[in-house]
Amino acid sequence: MIDRRAIFFLISAAVVAVLAPIVPYDEKHPLADKVGTPLAIALVVLALLSFLDHWSRRSEH
Amino acid sequence: MVLVVIVVAIALIFDFVNGFHDAANSIATVVATRVLKPWQAVLWAATFNFISFLILPLTVADAIAKIVSPDVASIGLVFAGLAGAIFWNVLTAWLGLPSSSSHALIGGMVGAGIAKAGGHVVNIITLKKTAVFIIFSPLVGLVLAFSMFVLISWLIHRIRARRAVNRTFRGLQLASAAAFSLGHGANDAQKTMGIIAMLLVATKHLDKAVFKDSELLPMWIVLSCHAAIGLGTMFGGWKIVRTMGTKLTKLEPMGGVCAESAAAATLFFASYNGIPVSTTHTITGAIVGVGSANRLSAVRWNIARRVGWAWVLTIPGSALVAMATYWIIEVLT
Repeated sequence: MIDRRAIFFLISAAVVAVLAPIVPYDEKHPLADKVGTPLAIALVVLALLSFLDHWSRRSEH
Repeated sequence: MVLVVIVVAIALIFDFVNGFHDAANSIATVVATRVLKPWQAVLWAATFNFISFLILPLTVADAIAKIVSPDVASIGLVFAGLAGAIFWNVLTAWLGLPSSSSHALIGGMVGAGIAKAGGHVVNIITLKKTAVFIIFSPLVGLVLAFSMFVLISWLIHRIRARRAVNRTFRGLQLASAAAFSLGHGANDAQKTMGIIAMLLVATKHLDKAVFKDSELLPMWIVLSCHAAIGLGTMFGGWKIVRTMGTKLTKLEPMGGVCAESAAAATLFFASYNGIPVSTTHTITGAIVGVGSANRLSAVRWNIARRVGWAWVLTIPGSALVAMATYWIIEVLT
């Protein structure tokens, strides 16, 4: 069985990566447009961890 | 003058309804994990809703006040925007859907602005930021809550005394609920402050300088908005509390702490950076994060899907109602 959680994280990461460049730069609040990249990376990392977790559980059985 | 007072009163009623509708999120997890009784939870959340202006800056009020060009703002425009948002809130509350009052308000103002003068009067920077953070804010909440939950689970997995662990987290949940209520009060009450500021500048009861420095906002606006949202919280939206706290996924005290802390951190970030986000979206993302840390099937995806549709439809739905209201006002006056 495939790891649905990892797929959910990967799709979310892809959506975030597509949307990240749309956030406009705002000189009063320069952090707002810097959220997308770390968020996409975090989601990919979670997808990887989730996949490893799923894989190790399957190996145990 | 009478019309201005009436529209300010409607804005405060909206804030109250926002508290009634959205602020239930602040207490859903505390009630679901039985850390506080419902009446204690609403009192706790309302207190922190009210005092949030002492801690967080008024950046969101500033963003909302300029969502449509101040040059076209008028009593009719603000009234139509509020009507669109209130209609949407009542509809979603009636359906038991945790949609966002904040986005209903933004959609309402944008719709009324377009109806009055066309799309060019809308502040595209704020609208784009708001629209993208409809997706980002629940995902940030999800990632933080998921990571926190996994990390804490790993740290305490050797502890056998589960009862003691649960007791500790029940205590911590008071702090995390308070932090979330602070974030909620700051981000949501400020939206109404922004609308009232827009109205008062349009009717020349307030100087335009308030758009440059939000600290110039009169204290009566700040206090009345926080009081309205706090009172709304006290009356609570129990149907939504049930959806958020128990239907989406089942929460233990540790999960509650992780969800609320993650959502609070997201709201603090948004409030400091002038991003009008939805507390509903943020806490939903965080709750889903905790649920999916257990396993993805722990999340009731049919409920999450209904919630998602309500989110997507909020801005266009409230915008359409606001446009219709504005045109009716135009015809009648």
